[in-house]
Amino acid sequence: MEYKVSLGPQHPALHEAVSLRMTLDGEVIRDADLKLGYSHRGIEKLAEERSYIQNIYLTERICGICSHSHTTCFTQGVEQLMELVPARRGLYIRTIIAELERVHSHLLWLGVAGQEAGFESFFMYTWRDREVIMDILEWISGNRVHYAMNIFGGVRRDIDELQRKKILDSLELLKKRTDYYLNLAASEPTFVGRLAGVGKLSREDAIALCAVGPTLRASGIASDVRRDDPYAVYSEMPFEVATADSCDVLGRAVVRIKELISSYAMLEFLLKNLPEGPFKVKAPRKVKPNEVYSRYEAPRGENVHYIKSNGSDKPERLKVRAPTLANYAATIAMLKNGFIADIPLIFAAIDPCICCAERLVQLDDGRRGDSRVLSFSQLRAMANERAKKIDFKKRKIAWPF
Amino acid sequence: MSLRIAPFLPELLRSLFKKPVTVKYPFEKEAVPKDFRGTVVFNPPKCIGCNICVNDCPAEAIDIIRVSETEKKFKMILHNDRCIHCAQCVDSCPTKTYHMDLEYETAAFSRWDLKIEYK
Repeated sequence: MEYKVSLGPQHPALHEAVSLRMTLDGEVIRDADLKLGYSHRGIEKLAEERSYIQNIYLTERICGICSHSHTTCFTQGVEQLMELVPARRGLYIRTIIAELERVHSHLLWLGVAGQEAGFESFFMYTWRDREVIMDILEWISGNRVHYAMNIFGGVRRDIDELQRKKILDSLELLKKRTDYYLNLAASEPTFVGRLAGVGKLSREDAIALCAVGPTLRASGIASDVRRDDPYAVYSEMPFEVATADSCDVLGRAVVRIKELISSYAMLEFLLKNLPEGPFKVKAPRKVKPNEVYSRYEAPRGENVHYIKSNGSDKPERLKVRAPTLANYAATIAMLKNGFIADIPLIFAAIDPCICCAERLVQLDDGRRGDSRVLSFSQLRAMANERAKKIDFKKRKIAWPF
Repeated sequence: MSLRIAPFLPELLRSLFKKPVTVKYPFEKEAVPKDFRGTVVFNPPKCIGCNICVNDCPAEAIDIIRVSETEKKFKMILHNDRCIHCAQCVDSCPTKTYHMDLEYETAAFSRWDLKIEYK
């Protein structure tokens, strides 16, 4: 007998608010549907009211873990609009921070995967090593989470000789630890037994459902924005795109560990070849009318910002497509024909950042219970219609601060 | 690669005899790096009232108000409750009026206590 179960939006197995409606046959999920929009923050609308410099810090706050990804994506887009060539040393430092962020994000993910698989000590060890990276980031940028390193034309802070040496020293330690984790992930029978064969996503499905990042690469497709459409200084660096052919959660873990190892090699290359010179150039405040589509390989996959300028110091439109949104369709395919007990693991395997991806405009009719998707212009017309009905004189609204 | 039983056991045992890395926070404090972005400090005599920081602040945490019409007198309000510690004001200021200190324990009972007025 088939029956329907809904999970979330508030559920201990899910770390963020997302609702899952499933059709079950015993313990097996036959059909699943995701409902989003529980933590929409209106960042895109806010960005239209702020200047480009203010928007750097706003886009940084889209995500806590890939904060540098969003700012870099936004900054390099705006630099293209400004027709500005950033300082070379600035680009190198930007890439160093990006790779350090990838390392800390993947170590965090490994810990989460360990925890979801019931391997708590793995969680403790990876997070212990992540502290090394967090300390480096705090030392370079002045903060652990929001580095605020990007500015149009380069970066805001330089890396000195002492910091360069310390990062290189820490990398040695991290390399050793990561080799140990790769060994552990491949040879510990309980861990392998829990992850292997869970959340299958075939190569064809991964392409058809537009999966991105490690989810796509674990299905055997070597796709990486850093190689396919190089930005910053990735075109000058030798690196290989890590892939796995097992198409399951174990494959995603292996891809991430391999990416860690390639990130260490990249960091070493960048730090050893750090060019001399200024780390930023002066940027104009106003931007000519134009539009740009900026791509960036965040730790979770391809991150996209679309920016439209109108000649003023504020953007006309900013559209953000966070990598998690692209992976939702693949997640549903992964959940189908899996067990209920695997839901947290499959969800964790795409490294979800649900708040970052909340951009959908969907209206629910409370009385009828159906929902529909509206276009931007339709929504605007609706908002105008609604605003006409409100009598602002009657409402006593006072700004409390 | 062949499977082994409990390959992490040596690491686990080694950690049993290690000193804890945590510190007893209110009594012991870890030092922050020297470029840490703590709290914004404003130095009134240097300010020329150009309002660049007001326009650039992403959190709208800075207000500079002209006090008198005839004289060149300003009042500056720093809303530390809104501050996001990005240090953009430090970068934007042409006369280096701002700097960041290492203070990170800024909790208060009321957000009004965090507001600072400079004249």
